[in-house]
Amino acid sequence: MADRIEGVKKLFTSKSARVETNMGDAHYEKLFQSCQARIEELKTQTPRENRLDIDSFLDDQGVNRRDFMKWASAVTGMLMLPSSFTPLVADAALLMNRAPVIWLELSDCAGNTEAILRSDGPKIDEILLDIISLEFNETIMAASGHQAEKQLEDAIHTFKGKYLLFVEGAIPMGLDGQYGTIGAHAETFYDHLMRISKDAAAVVAVGSCATFGGVPAASPNPTQAVGVMDVLKGKPLINIPACPANPANMVGVIIHYILTGQVPELDSLLRPKFAFGYRIHDNCERRAHFDAGEFVEEWGDHGAKHNHCLYKVGCKGPMTFNNCSIIRYNEGVNWPIGVGRGCIGCSEPDFWDKYAHERPISSVNIKAPTGGVEKTVDEFGLGLLTAASIGIGIHAVASVIAGKTENKEY
Amino acid sequence: MITKKLIDKIEGEACVYFDIKDRVVDFATIAFPNFRGIQEILKGKNALDALVITPRVCGICGHAHLMATVRAIEDAYKNGGYEIVLNQKIQKIREFTLIMETIQNHLKWIYLTIMPELAQLNKSTKILTPLKSAFGSSIAARAIATFAGQWPHSSYMLPGGITCDPTNIDALKAKSYVDELTSFFEKESLGIGIEEFLAFESCKDFKNMDSDISFIEEELIKAGMNKKGFSHDRFIVLGNHSYTNPSKINQTRIYCADAMCVEDIDSYSPNEKTYAKNAVYSGSYYEAGSLARQMSLNVPIVKNMHRRYKDSAYSRVMARIFELAYLLKESNSILDDIDISEASFNAPQHINAITATGIGVVEAPRGPLVHKVSLEKGVIKEYKIITPTQFNIGSSTKSDPTPAQKSMIGVSKEDALFIFRTFDVCSVCTTH
Repeated sequence: MADRIEGVKKLFTSKSARVETNMGDAHYEKLFQSCQARIEELKTQTPRENRLDIDSFLDDQGVNRRDFMKWASAVTGMLMLPSSFTPLVADAALLMNRAPVIWLELSDCAGNTEAILRSDGPKIDEILLDIISLEFNETIMAASGHQAEKQLEDAIHTFKGKYLLFVEGAIPMGLDGQYGTIGAHAETFYDHLMRISKDAAAVVAVGSCATFGGVPAASPNPTQAVGVMDVLKGKPLINIPACPANPANMVGVIIHYILTGQVPELDSLLRPKFAFGYRIHDNCERRAHFDAGEFVEEWGDHGAKHNHCLYKVGCKGPMTFNNCSIIRYNEGVNWPIGVGRGCIGCSEPDFWDKYAHERPISSVNIKAPTGGVEKTVDEFGLGLLTAASIGIGIHAVASVIAGKTENKEY
Repeated sequence: MITKKLIDKIEGEACVYFDIKDRVVDFATIAFPNFRGIQEILKGKNALDALVITPRVCGICGHAHLMATVRAIEDAYKNGGYEIVLNQKIQKIREFTLIMETIQNHLKWIYLTIMPELAQLNKSTKILTPLKSAFGSSIAARAIATFAGQWPHSSYMLPGGITCDPTNIDALKAKSYVDELTSFFEKESLGIGIEEFLAFESCKDFKNMDSDISFIEEELIKAGMNKKGFSHDRFIVLGNHSYTNPSKINQTRIYCADAMCVEDIDSYSPNEKTYAKNAVYSGSYYEAGSLARQMSLNVPIVKNMHRRYKDSAYSRVMARIFELAYLLKESNSILDDIDISEASFNAPQHINAITATGIGVVEAPRGPLVHKVSLEKGVIKEYKIITPTQFNIGSSTKSDPTPAQKSMIGVSKEDALFIFRTFDVCSVCTTH
């Protein structure tokens, strides 16, 4: 058992899981210059003719320059960059109409599309998401049917090698892919993804279905659903899990791409560290009650009325990595723990089978990674270890292709 | 000749196969080509796991799925001999968040589907403002998040109550979101006050406005939609809420209805594999949704609409817009009635004690959503989901068409495609 505790400890203190918030002055100076050069170059390019001018658009929406800079400085912080980068981030946001984005919906519930439809997330994030150069999104765009298919073909052709491909939804592999088909020729989701991703600069899997298979992949996985990283090889891939994924993190990835032309630093599950380098539990507003041993024993009790820790009613915050405890949902209004509903770990692999229990962690076969709280370390840690070792392999490929190297020793 | 049309800009994708004769639709079949197998996934899992899985069936009406699951499990408790009694506070808060979800759905449908499609159909040059819906829905989503934590996909309801214990400040916040949303809707969509709009008794009254809504009304008339898109003139409302009257309506005659009479049958789709089944009530097809709900409540303007234009595409669209205003007012009065000092949760018997079946019925934005569950010692043996789009947009044979199929017969293909969208298609729910 001691070995297993050590193993889990090692996993969560390993290089890939740690957030490095200070990379040193030399690093940032070099980065600043390369970002600046890139921004200047992007400025010389003309935006797509059908795109709005973001500056005047923000004005129309009643967002003044001051609010916008406040937002830019928050994003700079979120991306873990020093405050000197704020003007660059602001510039990058204004250049978002130069980054072509294609959005595919596969085996999904359209929940992430709903999330970017400004149903959720800080205001400016969504304004930006509404006007980024979204070349193709079935639900939102004006064209429909065959006209839409043509638009997709045009976008792939025009932006060959330059577009970011956002993928929402899992890929059903059972029955030769017949559980999910798309378009006039009933192309399977798998073929569709392979064809569209071929010429993408990078692929961004949005939501838990696209990253790890999500709900459709829950046991017994009737359609043999898998995530993008299970089938896509040799392409830079960024995972933004959670159900739904937070729009702030989608914007973060796009801005990072505009700013640096690179994939952000990723953890072993290919998640951007700026968003998934935090454990829910560590930044939870109810953490003090955990430390004080004050728990909700049953919904509706004294503890529930006084916002005590939800660990005993099944909160998976101690084993879930995501920034919702910091940025929250729906324009920062609230998040599940804020309404006394424990975290269900929706940004972790297989959470429907391993995490989605309404029961205390102590009575199911999963375990907090810190050790010490429960009696045994069990398959939770082991499951993750396996996943992590596969993930690192993919990550290595992704980093090399994206031209990104981590040269800093931890 | 059979021609295939893809329907997108909905939740997921659908395909309509038209059989065109003499330039009009002779018949049409519908296929939903995507499947996830949620019912299979639920089998063998703890009943309470359904609370986090079923909301994920749909990205736009996940809250309705959550409520249907909670109601189904609570019904199983009752049938298993442990009845759960819910106080007013629990019921009102659940109702409030459900209404907000319906409101954001209607808003998105108006601005992202109806206005652009209508403008295209009539070749209108009106400048479209799809972002309005996004802005309005974000206010509704914040109101939901106040009690439910997040939207989409929240799971704050439990058999026995809700997890949140709102303070007066939360209640005030929710109220201010509703106020903000109401003034937004008045200013941006109606062009007049909501009370004035709700007092309308005749379709003629729409002429007194100059706004997005009156634009839609005029364009509907211009496109002849008051004379097209007729369905069976039979309606069904099953969910029991403060703003519904569960009933079966034949033309204008209202009868009582029972969700136990609902079943799903195989659909007819000769041109493509479909994963959708058709929902029938006592063996017949009925139209569900806003028009049905408003008819069941005898709302004067909707009765007037029905007298003039029956169950045309016009009535379907305008009743839905009217319902949006109606629900905004309803949500305000619900908030006024919440007594925060009541308990949020009354712990029921442990779920392991329950071996029984249960049925949960909710009025989702598009109509009745039915969940049926069978539990053995708290574990799901069987789970069945029947969604509103299965009522409206099933695919059947020519001799016994579903509401959507019937409404498309005899019009041009362009008109048919618009009429199809007046039902507000939700593909992801339909196949689940």
